[in-house]
Amino acid sequence: MNREGDRPTSRDIPPDAEFSAVIAAITARSQIAQRLELGASEAVLRSVVEAAVALFEAEAASLALYDPDRKMLVFRVAAGEHGQEVVGMEIQPDRGLAGYVFSSGQGLAISDVATDGRFGRGFARATGYVPRSIVAVPLVDDSGTIGILEVLDKRSELTFSLRDVELAGVFARQATVAIRASRVERDTAALIRKVVSGLAGEDTPAPGVDALVAAALEGLGGDDDPLWPLVEQIAAIREASPDQLELVTTLLGALARQTARARGRRSAVEGRIGPRAGGRGRADPGSE
Amino acid sequence: MTSEIVPAWSEPFLESGGVALRRLPPLPSIDREWAMGGSDGTGVTVAIVDSGVEREHPAVGGKLVRSVKVEAGATQDADPVVSEDEEGIDVVGHGTACAGIIHALAPGVDLVSVRVLGPNNRSKGIVFAAGLDWAIRQGVRVMNLSLSSSSDALFGLFHELADQAYFANVLMVCAANNVPGNSYPSLFASVVSVAAHDRADPAVWFYNPRPPVEFGAYGVDVPVAWRSGERIVATGNSFAAPHIAGYAARILAKHPDATPFEIKAILAATATPPG
Repeated sequence: MNREGDRPTSRDIPPDAEFSAVIAAITARSQIAQRLELGASEAVLRSVVEAAVALFEAEAASLALYDPDRKMLVFRVAAGEHGQEVVGMEIQPDRGLAGYVFSSGQGLAISDVATDGRFGRGFARATGYVPRSIVAVPLVDDSGTIGILEVLDKRSELTFSLRDVELAGVFARQATVAIRASRVERDTAALIRKVVSGLAGEDTPAPGVDALVAAALEGLGGDDDPLWPLVEQIAAIREASPDQLELVTTLLGALARQTARARGRRSAVEGRIGPRAGGRGRADPGSE
Repeated sequence: MTSEIVPAWSEPFLESGGVALRRLPPLPSIDREWAMGGSDGTGVTVAIVDSGVEREHPAVGGKLVRSVKVEAGATQDADPVVSEDEEGIDVVGHGTACAGIIHALAPGVDLVSVRVLGPNNRSKGIVFAAGLDWAIRQGVRVMNLSLSSSSDALFGLFHELADQAYFANVLMVCAANNVPGNSYPSLFASVVSVAAHDRADPAVWFYNPRPPVEFGAYGVDVPVAWRSGERIVATGNSFAAPHIAGYAARILAKHPDATPFEIKAILAATATPPG
């Protein structure tokens, strides 16, 4: 990611290394917290699609959330015998039925989907399932639209009725509240920007805030950072028994001591926010 | 809690609804023949503020006279940009569906497409508003909006645009949102807000004396045009609104001096009797 244009300059913000380090540390912790909460968030998403399938006696339901970093609608979960393959698919937020519903905020139902070939070509090739009817509604609450919910093929009817569209809309609204409550702020950049702007006051030029945020995010690895699987594992074992947790803690402690000794031998000098930063390649600030 | 689960806006119009659409006796001497008899909308321009309109789609009948797209500004603070859409495309199919419905009811109407689907939450309300602003200034007489904004932050902006349209004699025909909640401009008093009924007849529309959604038109299992020259069957308030927009255009073609409130009154007077 190229954030060169956003680099802080001494003109925008006083060069306060300590402050920058604190912001970077908060950013890292926010990202970790987000990963730790991911499991809880996924459970809520799954319960939404499962409830939708039951409510409408549908063949399948799927849910896509808007990812502000990627600027894409990403299908996160699906329920029902068919349609699992949709999970992970990304679509532009202003294209296709899902994109329309997301960007217009207007729920719709369409049928004769298979015969007209629109979904038969792209959608079915990608998912292996061609629905004959779809109802799609926005996941919206008073704070805005976060994604869309699609319900495919009512078992008892050939098409979805207007009442189905409206019920799905009401259901999606309730689901949105639950989803929002279940997840920590996903967009770390937005979270940090909010905090920094608040602290800096209204007079601070926006480029200055952007620069500080960019600098704070720079220390974080991307999705392929080996730290994240570890964090996710830790999230997964939170339900473990106290004995098991104690064992894991002991093992991790031993590993940490060994890492520290190895680093000591290499005379590494970096490590502004503790051992983790050093372990993630901070020693070479020039690397991407 | 329970009352919230009852679908709101279409309820009075559904056959199963069981609610009589109480109304005044028809205004004297106003019937459909007087209102729009012999009119096919010639001379009236209708703007479709939506996902674009496919110029070559047979359902549009070659009546798309202009097509623009509105896009978010390059930077966060920049105004949205309106530019000609030379290709005349529809990125979804929805705008073409609306255009096809209007063309079928009022084949003389000239159509203008204003494509306003913004890519993200923040820009989409602003892009939508910029599209409305542009259309109001083009001299169209009717706008068909199946979109709405739920953003409280943009309430004032949309209210101002609705007033601008009203004072410029531009009728805004808005699909009611399918979900109760904020929905601008469809819940403003000066617009014609439309929900769907389930009689498969484009010539049936109802007047509901209990705002905010005053009209019900055909919107369930409607055969509509879609992108790439195709047709599908669709359900939603989105498809009810263009029926009313089409009839409004025919009224305007026959009575060019009619103001938005007069058109609304004529639509109410000529609505299908309940029952």
